[in-house]
Amino acid sequence: MAHTFPSPEWTAAYKDAVNGNAAYREAGKTWTHGAVAFVVEKDAALGLPDDCAMVLDVNAGECRETHWVARAVAEAEAPFVIVGRYDRWRDVITGKDDPIKSMMQNKLRLVKGHLPTIIRYVESSRQLVKSASAVDSHWLA
Amino acid sequence: MTEVIELAPGASENGLATMLADLLRQNLADKPHKRADFARLAGRVAIVAEDAGVALTLEFDRGRLVVHDGIVGIPDVTVRAPSDDVMAMSLVELTPRRALPDPRGETMRKLWQGMRGDRIHIHGALLHAPLMLRLTRVMSVH
Repeated sequence: MAHTFPSPEWTAAYKDAVNGNAAYREAGKTWTHGAVAFVVEKDAALGLPDDCAMVLDVNAGECRETHWVARAVAEAEAPFVIVGRYDRWRDVITGKDDPIKSMMQNKLRLVKGHLPTIIRYVESSRQLVKSASAVDSHWLA
Repeated sequence: MTEVIELAPGASENGLATMLADLLRQNLADKPHKRADFARLAGRVAIVAEDAGVALTLEFDRGRLVVHDGIVGIPDVTVRAPSDDVMAMSLVELTPRRALPDPRGETMRKLWQGMRGDRIHIHGALLHAPLMLRLTRVMSVH
């Protein structure tokens, strides 16, 4: 069953997708630096009146929990926060764009977090985003 | 001496420029021994992530760095590489004693293969070896 991106249901399905990604389990097996939040910026035309976020509680190659929260909550609780427009997230999730290249192009922005740590775990970060492609997604645009 | 790392007007819209500025700030904060190298850096280094269509210029002036969007002025060194390799430049392993790029390191070997092939092009590195060595040290997260 397809879940609308972004939504609480999609966020819940994302947990299973991360845990089903063997490449993430390997690349992230030494990650102990805390949760990562992906923020989708508001877009009234798409029915997204406020910035919203998916927080992934990842540790040692496993996604222990995901939850769907407001951006302010995500920024308060997650040590790493990446922000982007809806279409930017859609493009990296569907594989049209690479997440690291998108950050270099300012399509996705790390607004909170220790960049050297992200760079050490660059493959883990990439696989975390790529895991989302396994979620059966319904796109708003 | 306090290091100054700033973005030139327009560079804040360049993701690679903001990432490198943040990386250097955090590296210098985390690893104070890199500050001596930063204080001696002088010259311009252009970095082009070809597949991302992004370019920047690092303008070093002995303890001060201005990061420009695009290629500004005449670079002493120009690096042209795919975005993965540009990112890998921050992962170069350094030898324990002298902090030289470790040729046995996985990242260094990958970059070396890219330079020997046709993937990574570095112009001016031999003429400006001290600049490249210091830049490698301050950029590396190791």
